[in-house]
Amino acid sequence: MRLIAAVFTALLTSPAIAQVQGVMLDEPVEMPAFAFTNELNEEFTDQELLNQWTLVMFGFLSCPDICPFTLGNLEAAVSETGMRVRPDNVPKVVFVSVDPDRDAEAVTDYAKFFHPDFEGFTGERDQIDTLIEATDSFYRLLKPDHTGYYEVQHSSSVSVIAPDGTLRAKLQPPFHPGATAEFLARLQIQYRKELSQ
Amino acid sequence: MIRAALSLMFMPATLMAGEVTVEAPVVPLAPPGAVAHAAYFTLANTGDTPRQLIGVSAEGYMMAHIHRTEVSGDVAMMSSVDALEIPPGQSVVFAHGGLHVMLMRPTAPLEKGGQVELTLEFANGEAIPVSAIVVPFKDLQAHGS
Repeated sequence: MRLIAAVFTALLTSPAIAQVQGVMLDEPVEMPAFAFTNELNEEFTDQELLNQWTLVMFGFLSCPDICPFTLGNLEAAVSETGMRVRPDNVPKVVFVSVDPDRDAEAVTDYAKFFHPDFEGFTGERDQIDTLIEATDSFYRLLKPDHTGYYEVQHSSSVSVIAPDGTLRAKLQPPFHPGATAEFLARLQIQYRKELSQ
Repeated sequence: MIRAALSLMFMPATLMAGEVTVEAPVVPLAPPGAVAHAAYFTLANTGDTPRQLIGVSAEGYMMAHIHRTEVSGDVAMMSSVDALEIPPGQSVVFAHGGLHVMLMRPTAPLEKGGQVELTLEFANGEAIPVSAIVVPFKDLQAHGS
């Protein structure tokens, strides 16, 4: 909740900046141990967060509007970031489905539709909840309708995890490619400054 | 279509002038595994009476609904829209992050350049057929996201 409060504050106190693309955290947040998998039997654990920048987005495959546009915009933003930072600092994008019952068989295919380097994972409910909580994110599966279809509410922001495995920032919609890339480049400069101190 | 023609025939002359046009109907190419995706367009009421969109159907889908994405704080959610008023002389935009037609459970995968046949149903009984073109996401983003 502290983070969400910070987001609101940032949005409320800087109305002049229409293009707020993210919020940097005051203090890095350690990530707990977690393990996800996908239909290719690949693993995504807290160990995979080390030694590179990672963008983690939560969503679900039956999401008609927000998820595909977020991933599409992230593809453009990451491509823009590639023009501003060293190749080994270009972030990896990981899509984590919070709806494993429907998505386990297609989550990688879904992510790679937006870019071949994107990765898609899902997993056990307790693992999802662990990462959701650690990143101060949110999701909720709604009650099924008469056809069995259910909707999922979820955080629209994207978690930015640094090469030391800690959460450093949240990206906010609309994920404008240029502004998001600028935000990520600034975040990386600040991170390197901190490391050299 | 027969229903639309009949309703037009029996409508009073003032309503005949109430025209709704559908601009730029598109369906972004659905990613694999998506059992729901979206159609977008702009509805313009060029007539002089208010019009009410009350439903939508789509060929090749089990269901279609008028939906609105709402982002409250950090949380994205969707709500169903039962009726949508289009005042005379005004347009209503269906676009990412707001109104969209939710297309559920396609019977066949989409292909780039293909078409999705929609029917928009209005409170006055008129049904407007719409052919939405299937486009890659990149095309939509280039048009301003």
